[in-house]
This record gives sequence, C-alpha cells and structure tokens, in this order.
Amino acid sequence: MVRFDRVSKRYSSAGTSGSDALSGVSFELDYGEMAFLTGHSGAGKSTLLKLMMRMETPTRGEVIIDGRNLSRMREGQVPHHRRKVGVVFQNHQLLFDRTVFDNVALPLLIAGASPRETGRRVRAALDKVGLLGKEKLNPIQLSGGEQQRVGIARAVVNKPPILLADEPTGNLDPELSAEIMNLFCQFQQVGVTVLIATHDIDLVECMGNRRLILQQGQMIAGNQASDELSARGLV
Amino acid sequence: MSATQQRPNLQRPSPQRKNQNSQGASEAKVAGTQVLGAWYRNHQMVAVESLAKLLAAPASSLMTWLVIAIALTLPGALFMAVDNLQQLSGHFETSGRMTVFLEQGIDEEQANAMQQQLSVLHSVSNADYVSAEEALEEFKAYSGLADALTYLDENPLPAVILVEPPLGLSKQELEGLVEKIQSFQQVDSVQVDMAWVERLLALLALGQRLVLVVGALLALAIVLVVGNTIRLAIAARTDEIRVVKLVGGTNAYVRRPFLYTGLWYGFVGGVLAWLMLALCWLLLQGPVADIAGLYGADFRLQPLPFGPAFWLIISASLLGLMGSWWSVQRHLTQIEP
Repeated sequence: MVRFDRVSKRYSSAGTSGSDALSGVSFELDYGEMAFLTGHSGAGKSTLLKLMMRMETPTRGEVIIDGRNLSRMREGQVPHHRRKVGVVFQNHQLLFDRTVFDNVALPLLIAGASPRETGRRVRAALDKVGLLGKEKLNPIQLSGGEQQRVGIARAVVNKPPILLADEPTGNLDPELSAEIMNLFCQFQQVGVTVLIATHDIDLVECMGNRRLILQQGQMIAGNQASDELSARGLV
Repeated sequence: MSATQQRPNLQRPSPQRKNQNSQGASEAKVAGTQVLGAWYRNHQMVAVESLAKLLAAPASSLMTWLVIAIALTLPGALFMAVDNLQQLSGHFETSGRMTVFLEQGIDEEQANAMQQQLSVLHSVSNADYVSAEEALEEFKAYSGLADALTYLDENPLPAVILVEPPLGLSKQELEGLVEKIQSFQQVDSVQVDMAWVERLLALLALGQRLVLVVGALLALAIVLVVGNTIRLAIAARTDEIRVVKLVGGTNAYVRRPFLYTGLWYGFVGGVLAWLMLALCWLLLQGPVADIAGLYGADFRLQPLPFGPAFWLIISASLLGLMGSWWSVQRHLTQIEP
C-alpha cells in the first residue's frame, strides 16, 4: 500500500545548501496495517507525512502509494490522490465559519456526493467518533479532544484506504489519547492502512503496533516488519 | 461496531473488480451521469452560495456594485446620446435639400416660370416656390422678432424656391445639379443644407469613437476593481482554501466560488447600470422634449434599446468574470497546503 524507496528530502533555502530532512528512507506498509512513526522533533516525521500527501516531492527516491509513484504524478492528479489519504492534523485544521457537520462533509462535497449520501455518511462518521449530537455546533464551541475527533471524522468520512495522523494526541490528556488511539485501531480493523506520527512513547508501547523510528532524517528501526522487536530495544 | 462502519472493509476491493464483470460498461455510464450530476449540483450550489455571501454583506457588496454600475453608466449614457443623435440625423442624412435664392426684383410670374423650369429637371423631385412675402410671414411667426420687423420699410427677404432632389442622390450628381441651377439668370445663389449634416455626421463618428475609448478604459477599471475585490476575498478565505486543497479539492473546485462571485459582481453591476440609464432617460426625456418643442421638432429621447441593454449586462458579467479569473490565477496558486 505504501512504499518508500531510498527517499531523501532536502529543503534548500536561498544561498545555503540546506540539510536533509530525510535521507535514504525505505519502508513498506501493507494493506490494512497500522504503524507508528516516532522520533524527536525535527527527525523528519512531518516531512514523511507531507511526502505521502504529496504536499512535498522527494529530492531523491520514490514514494509509491496504492501502486502510484507520487513523483511522476501530474499536478492535476494530486487532488484525487489526496482523496484517498485521510489526514488528521495536530492543529485539527477545522474551519470555524461553519458547523461540525459542514466541516466533516467537506471531503464529500468536494468529491461530489449527493446530499442524501452526504448526510448519511457524515452522521455515520460523527457517530463513530461519538459526536453525533453536536453536528450543529461550531467547532469552536468544542473541547480540544472533541475538535480532534471532528478532525478524525472528516479524515474518514470519505472512507479513504489510507489514514495518516500527525500528533493526533498532541495536547490531550492520557485518557483522551487512549480513546483516540482506540478509534484508529477500529479503522485499522476495517481494513484501513493507518500511520500515526507521535512522540507519545508510552501510548505506542502499550499499543504494541509496529514502530518506524526516525532519527535525524534516517529510519533507524522499523523499516522491516521483523524489526519490531529490535525497535523496542532501542527505546 | 455498526453496519455502516464495517462497510469500508466490504466495499474497498470493489473498485478494482467492478470493471472486470460484464456490467462494467453500464456502471461506467451510470458513474459518468453521476459525475455530471455532481458537477452540475456543485455549480448550482456555488452560484447560489456566492450570491448569498455577497448579499450577506450588503454594504460592501453594494459599494463594488455601484462602482461597476457607474463605470458602465458613463459609456452607456454616451452611447445613448450618440444613438439618439444618430436617429435625429437620420432624417436629414439622405436629403440634400437646397434653397435657391432668386435675384431681387423678380416678379411673381418670372418666379413661377422659374419654379416650373426647375421642377421638370431630371434630378429634382419637388420644387416649392416661397415668395418674399410668405418668407417674411414665416419668419415673423417663428423667430419671435415680429415687432422688430415692423420697423423695416421693405421686405429684406428674397423669394426662394425650395428644391428637393430625390433620395439617394450621390454627392457628384448633387454638385452637378447645384451648378446647373446656378447657371440660370434669375438665380442669385444656391445653398445646400449639406454642410451641417456632414459636420453632424463627423461629430457622431467622433462620439462613437469616444464611446469605444471611454468604454474600453472603464472596462479595464471594472476588471481591476473586481480583481482587487476578489483578491481580498481570497485573502480572507486562505484557511479554507488550504483545508479544501488538503482534503482533495481540485484547483477548479477552489476557483469556482471566486469566479461566480466575480460573475455576480459584474451581472448585478450591469443591471444597476441599466437601471441608472433608465433613470437618466426618465429624468431627461421631459426637458429634451421641451427643447425639441421649442425648436418645433417632434423629437423624443429614446431609452437604451433592448439589444444594447442586453449586451451591457452580458459584457458587465464577462468583465466581472475576467477580473476574478485574473485575480484567481495570480493569487490562488500561491496558496498551497
């Protein structure tokens, strides 16, 4: 489902040659697999996710998602690629000028779903994250945890085969974090490929999923499924 | 876990397999219709929503609308004026009416003979004799100088024959006719009422050119005004654009509401301009009719005809669309997630 082949990403700023945000990263994720991406701040977690969403293109190497090479993808194909990748952002990226319902409905609206279909799917997604009663509220009236769950509902409402999350439990207390993680597990169980970037080591530990560990732009563990045990030893 | 949530698992593999079975083609057709339906639905929704957004902020929208309307009213009014003058000049354009002044001291009989002579000429369709006395009566009646004329000892006006050539006479034929009439002994001079018609036509041509120049300049102004307004709208919705692009919105999808907004700016501006022109007509037609009456003319100011009014609104809409397109091309590509 997801394959990184010796991917490097260098952000070059004017004048300087820049440094590699990622260098020679290779790994694969199977269909329906759930994995964590960990590492210190600046290790390249966000860059890796951006490459998967094609917000960035690799300097070297290839990113292949669902059989398509993102480097060779035409600009016009990018939106269609993004519809297949649900993303949960650390800062939610919700729109505060519309209701919870309209926020969650956005991907369906873009994909051109009929109003009936939209209503049905949005409610199913909100039900899933436990916010069915709050569809008419503005996201600004919700707590941080609830806003995050609206973000999750929006990420999955289109039933994307891949779900990415960037620090989804960033500023939540442990109990809420566990709830959110539990949600991700449920999506994995219905066949979604899930990749979660987080620095919440404790939570990752108790989940027991595969871990991809980035250190200064290099993947030091987890690039093989069998590395799981050694990855644990490195923490 | 509910049935709806389990659906992804069941549905996901289907897109790849769908086309392998025999129903593939018909399903593709259904999908095509659905895509078209969705596209149409989106356009309809965006069109309504962008208008609703403009109406939700009536004060600022009205400002833009009025700017556009005024920018269109100026060339529109000019066009209306030229159009009316053209209709006025249409009455004279083809006629090269000439006034033949007879020598002083020619008596009634000679004059009548002259009139006979002229009226049988090949390129004369009508010749009317106006005696000196008749001319004086006419002058008294229309000039308002009747009192002053009583102080004159004798009639200063000469007898004239009004000669009307047939319609569509060429300039050369007309000149030939003038020469011929002038060769008669009893004729003092011939005056062709062409010079002022030519001047009027030249002025009208200038007016038409002026409409084009002023129209082009103000059209550019409309494009810039709408472009700038849309730029502000884009700036105000940067977050939304970013999120829409993140969840898979195409450039066309992101562009659409702004293009419709521009279209609405232009369209409503055009309709307002038309209303303003109609108001101008209402306010001016009375005074114009009065002036025309004073000159003894039966002239009514015509409103902007339906055709030009239609094109005014259409071109206003297109200018709004152009302005927003220009702005969207410049600013939207800069917003990337």
